Amino acid sequence: MLNGLDIEGDSPLHRMPVRGKLVLLFAAAVMLFVVSGLYVLVPALVLSAGLLLSTGIGAGQAFRRTRFVLFTVLLVAAANYVFVSPHEAAVVLCRLAALVLLAAAVTATTGISAFMDEIARLLTPLERYGFVRAADVSLAVGLVIRFVPEILARYRDIAEAHRARGLPVRPLTTLVPLIILTLKDADTIAMAIDARGFRRH
Amino acid sequence: MDIVFTAATVRYAGRVALHPLDLALSERRIGIVGLNGSGKTTMARLINGLVKPTEGTVRVDGLDTVADEKTARGKTGFIFQNPQHQMILPILAEDIAFGLKNRGLAKAEIAERTEAILARFDISHLARRRVHELSGGETQLAAIASVLVTGPDLLILDEPTNQLDLKNRALIERTVASLPEQVIVITHDLALIDGFDRVLVFHEGRLAADDTPAEAIGAYRKIAAC
Amino acid sequence: MSTRDIVLVALFAAIIVVLGLLPPITLGFIPVPITAQTLGVMLAGCILGAKRGAAAVLLVLLLVAIGLPVLSGGRGGLAVFAGPGAGYLVGFVPGAYVCGLIAERLVREDQAELSQFLSFLAAAVVGGIAVVYLFGIPWLAYMSGKAFFETAAASLVFLPGDLIKAFVAMLAGRAVLAGYPLLPQRA
Repeated sequence: MLNGLDIEGDSPLHRMPVRGKLVLLFAAAVMLFVVSGLYVLVPALVLSAGLLLSTGIGAGQAFRRTRFVLFTVLLVAAANYVFVSPHEAAVVLCRLAALVLLAAAVTATTGISAFMDEIARLLTPLERYGFVRAADVSLAVGLVIRFVPEILARYRDIAEAHRARGLPVRPLTTLVPLIILTLKDADTIAMAIDARGFRRH
Repeated sequence: MDIVFTAATVRYAGRVALHPLDLALSERRIGIVGLNGSGKTTMARLINGLVKPTEGTVRVDGLDTVADEKTARGKTGFIFQNPQHQMILPILAEDIAFGLKNRGLAKAEIAERTEAILARFDISHLARRRVHELSGGETQLAAIASVLVTGPDLLILDEPTNQLDLKNRALIERTVASLPEQVIVITHDLALIDGFDRVLVFHEGRLAADDTPAEAIGAYRKIAAC
Repeated sequence: MSTRDIVLVALFAAIIVVLGLLPPITLGFIPVPITAQTLGVMLAGCILGAKRGAAAVLLVLLLVAIGLPVLSGGRGGLAVFAGPGAGYLVGFVPGAYVCGLIAERLVREDQAELSQFLSFLAAAVVGGIAVVYLFGIPWLAYMSGKAFFETAAASLVFLPGDLIKAFVAMLAGRAVLAGYPLLPQRA
């Protein structure tokens, strides 16, 4: 049910290390916001779109992934068109859309485990301060992915029980039992984790 | 492995879960039965340190479960009643490997030992499957594999077949019977402990009977009847 | 954090993800369907408290960042954080924290029901709305270039929906407190 948004491929972006991609993304973001000339921003947008498509994702999939965010970008650009000027609208559109497409390209070419490995690397110096442990973070991520299907199934059971009793399926009457039943499991799951000695190394 | 209880007592606010227990266990197959609340679960959790004795000591292979908690726990695997609560990562093979990752083993060795344990329980074909798609019996089997992959000498199973249907129950019974490790099973499923070396009966926090399966189960039935 | 805390945080994060997978709710008088997911932020604070609530929300954002489509509508990936609405997302974390802080401080299990309701409502509104908007609106304004005032004003269209969610969070928070109290009590 929960598959990552990365896709298989061998493009240059795919082969780039995670840290490099994130640095590049950040640098691009800074550049996009510092510059306001269309002669830079338009090519930047074209370049970003090209980069996204070069990952092998296909235009349809790329659009499906980014349409919600791009819609909000469009709204903001529209506000600029109405209240400021068409030029300003173009600037905002190119700037924001370029950033969105670039970010999408990074996501498309970076697998979940690659991200998790990088996070572990980044967290290791912080572990010394007792802040948070990389192993705990990957455990937490794994637990979420593991239990989402069960919790969803449980919600469906609760909704079904409602219908069987002729009750309307309302957020309040379904969410409260869902939350209570799910959180009650925490004790036994934690016990099983402790029994396997996970968190004492 | 020898498990020695010396005046081990467990008290919670207002009640005694386990009265002082003196016991030495070393048999290969030990069963524990008793009514709910009889202290059997508490006693079992003393062995792997999930519960600490309020008084007295519990020693596993000479190691004190409190003073040498980490090492003592490493010698024991624990299987819980609900299969769903024990598999904590989405893909079966990942869950098995996770226990090994935490011990700082090399990637190649982790992969090797994961494959070996999967083959041992005949579930290699389930390696890449999502855990929530497995049947109750398969999940329990996977949990056993996950726990045994780190090589404990003793496996404790706390009502392992309670939530399983007949077919899966038989599967777990066969699996438990085939384990070379030392096994302690708490169960209501009397067929599971039929050929065991020793069966303990707990009642109201005390050891009520300690005998061969036939005798002990007889004593248990008497207790349960009244 | 104890193992139990980590599991609570992870399970709640999973609940927030599930909330995003449910069909949006249409409440008669508002034409736009509201997703239950942002309700999850208020609930996290009200039910788990400040630290764990914020951690649960942060965990969800982490899942989004690493490329999982867990935001309602199947949204995910870094693109979500690159958009004009990203400030709200980021604001969810301090929002859940403040919500939890207020709930921990004001709610007591032995209080009258009305007091508990009001405390949870205050927590949900201040944490789940005010703090979140505090992060969301400036970010949106910055991204909107010279039309910042207009877009910030336009974003207030979400306020009625969010107030309804705060109301639901108030009721749910109290119900969960009654059924399975997990809220740490802070003097």
